[in-house]
Amino acid sequence: MFSVIIYGRNDSHGYNLHKRAAISFNAIAEVMSDPDDEILFVDYNTPDDHPTFPEAIHDTLTDKAKRVLRIFRVRPEQHHHLKSKTHLVALEAQSRNIALRRSNPRNRWILYTNTDMLLVPRNEGESLNEIFGGLPDGFYQIPRFELPEMLWEAAFDRKDPAGNLIQLRDWAVRFHLNQVVHNFMPMKYDALGDFQAALREDMFAIHGFDEDMLLGWHCDSNLAARLALYRGRVDTLIDKVFGYHCDHTRVAAANNKGRQTKMNDQDRFIWDVSSPYLPGQADTWGWPDVEIEELRLDRDTSYERFTTGLSAAMEPASEPYRSTNLDWHLYSDLSYDLRHTLPFICDQVLTYPRSTTVMLVASRPELVTRFTTAWKAMGFTGSVLVPSECKGLPRQHPSIATAPFSELVGKADLFIFEFGLVTQYWEEVVRIGRPESASDQKVLKTVARLFALAASTESDTRPRGHRLPRRFIGVNVIYNKFWPLFTDHIAANINPFCSQVLAGLPRQDASLKGKVLRFRGRRGI
Amino acid sequence: MPFISVTMRQLWLRTRILEHLGETEKADWSRLFLRARALARSGAFELAVPLYERALELEPMLGEALEGLGEALDVLGKTDLALEKYAASRRVRAEARLGPPDRHFVLRQRGHFAAEVLAYDAVVRSLKKNTLPYIARGNAYLAGGRPKEALENYDYALKLKRNSPDVSVLKGEALTMLGRCKEAISQFDIAVTAQPRNAEALGGRAIARLGAWLLGQANADWQRQFELLKGRPSARACVALRMADYALALPELEMAIEKEPDDPYWHLYRLTARRRLGLSADIRNLPSIDAWPGLLLELHAGHTTPDEVLKRADTDSRRAEAAFQLGVMALDGNTVASKGYWTDVTVRSSPSLIEHAAARNELARLAP
Repeated sequence: MFSVIIYGRNDSHGYNLHKRAAISFNAIAEVMSDPDDEILFVDYNTPDDHPTFPEAIHDTLTDKAKRVLRIFRVRPEQHHHLKSKTHLVALEAQSRNIALRRSNPRNRWILYTNTDMLLVPRNEGESLNEIFGGLPDGFYQIPRFELPEMLWEAAFDRKDPAGNLIQLRDWAVRFHLNQVVHNFMPMKYDALGDFQAALREDMFAIHGFDEDMLLGWHCDSNLAARLALYRGRVDTLIDKVFGYHCDHTRVAAANNKGRQTKMNDQDRFIWDVSSPYLPGQADTWGWPDVEIEELRLDRDTSYERFTTGLSAAMEPASEPYRSTNLDWHLYSDLSYDLRHTLPFICDQVLTYPRSTTVMLVASRPELVTRFTTAWKAMGFTGSVLVPSECKGLPRQHPSIATAPFSELVGKADLFIFEFGLVTQYWEEVVRIGRPESASDQKVLKTVARLFALAASTESDTRPRGHRLPRRFIGVNVIYNKFWPLFTDHIAANINPFCSQVLAGLPRQDASLKGKVLRFRGRRGI
Repeated sequence: MPFISVTMRQLWLRTRILEHLGETEKADWSRLFLRARALARSGAFELAVPLYERALELEPMLGEALEGLGEALDVLGKTDLALEKYAASRRVRAEARLGPPDRHFVLRQRGHFAAEVLAYDAVVRSLKKNTLPYIARGNAYLAGGRPKEALENYDYALKLKRNSPDVSVLKGEALTMLGRCKEAISQFDIAVTAQPRNAEALGGRAIARLGAWLLGQANADWQRQFELLKGRPSARACVALRMADYALALPELEMAIEKEPDDPYWHLYRLTARRRLGLSADIRNLPSIDAWPGLLLELHAGHTTPDEVLKRADTDSRRAEAAFQLGVMALDGNTVASKGYWTDVTVRSSPSLIEHAAARNELARLAP
């Protein structure tokens, strides 16, 4: 019957976003009843190494919310062509159009709202589905009622949407919450973007939201102006449903800088609109030809993929714990516990697209075998690229592709460099003062050379179409002699030793030191 | 003291309003509605209620008044009654049949737009240099069948935004409605030159050209419009019917019925197309409706007579629709009768009617 379209990213937009969003997702799902109903969340421009916003809060969502939620992930690389045109990190018009294009064609209605709204049918027994089912064609809005921060933050239980709606009905009367704020036509009400219901067919006819609106604000008013022209009027659903907004003014959101706030031009996008149509974007709105990843929270989740991958790659521990050691004299000991480290490596790659191709430059054959097994079992379809310069590594796995480093470097989306000891065997006790053998040193020299070369030339060797720097993951690079090498080239955070893994993007160091470093890296000095 | 003053004023207003309500006439519904709305906006919901009610007695199809009454009753705490009024307002709007889907979006809108005119009056007072309020107010007039007032608004919008193709199309539509087809064509020309793929402008120009007796040029516009309306079967069907190209129309009508099986016009036009293509009538799955154009479906099914149809066609456009169908049915054996019916269609109806264009094309083909 209807698709709800919302958008956001895994950041902190306004105060206590996680609670507001959970309350809202659960409350909207609560008033859905048709199997075709869906909540479409466009996760726009969350960094690749982060999960999407709904994944980050999935434990606070009800089963029903997880069932109806479809997440479309727009990667930073896909946003990059717009980056220079806007100060914003998440774009409303693009997000909403991406969802609209991919919405369930069986649904007659599209409802645009936001991640902090609660929709309360005035008739307690009625679902939104029943409400939409009885509506004649049109464009509908409702007034937005504000909910003080204290109420939603202190009293709502994220996982009890039905209870929250009951409480809201009570508060509305006790605390005089329901105030309709009328507005000029074609807006009809203030804060109109929190409930705009239009026919899916109409939205396609008018070519979606205006994707020239890149500076934030007024996307809802532009839509109202265009749909008011198209339909001739703006109808109300005030007799059917009340909408409450979880107020979040304690902390200003990123797009709110008071009087200095940058905004889309009101004249151009509202008061001088002369047609509902946007012929200039008729064939491109919603990025129809761009492959957008879709994720679900009720099936094939990241957690399921992670555990499947690790279970395929290694057996459970047979002892309560194992030890390692940070004593200063062990600084040169490069032995480490691979079984303990593998989950942290997998954690670094899991949020990347499944089609990702990773270059793995390693010392220890076990890492290649076990990581590739986990990679495949986690559902990645891209190859694991192992340079032929790395001798003695297994290459039989069908996911492994091998060739000289110079041929592979331009195909990799992601890099893993491991600085271990080729002579270390699987069950060996670690960090007890193990010396390096000649073969260890030979292999490590190759890994270090390839690492410096890859990091120094990263911007020159990106695959075609890649405009963003690629991420480097360093394995066994904390508190040992390869720590300085890795962090000289890669801007990594300080991580706990226990994870054994650092990750980051190549440093953009314009100083003489940086230049010398890159020069040496390129020439293998 | 202020409280007493307000109360006294309300009492005086109430007495005055109730005194004069009985004297209002049918044509006063608009004034009553405007007054009621102004009172409601000033917070005098109790005073607005009888005015809305009287406006509705005079014009029961006034959806805006039903909605306004609903809002007033809602605020006054009479929720059950209010919800009934809101529902009634939606029913009224749902019952209004939209204009043909190949026409400009403004001309697909139907019903009263008094509330919109009023709302944009207020906006225009604040924003004198922006086009949207003038265009929207013009559209409300045009959709409400007041092309003269629409034209004034479009002219003003064009002063602010010279040569806007969007406004030129609207001005063209208003001029066509006023019968000034040659002026309309020049407005559509501006739009089509700027936006050669604007299907609504082409459709509008075709009708203006038809009104100016330029049938060949009108058909050329429709041909192009048909190509541009890919994926919109009901709109394409209407365009093909205007050209009286039934082979082109039939598959589009089949698709339109699939999408909107309850729309009697798609069934009627499908029967028309089949008959003109020499195919059997195929009267299965016809919707059974008492209202117009149910009788025309019965005519095709052989369940009623031409006389009965003509007797019950109670408006000019219905008489034109009926005459067109009678012409189609007579064509097999009596070309003269068909010509007579179709000529009648062209005399009685406006060029914007599908049957008018189709009749003109049929007559052109029958001409020696």
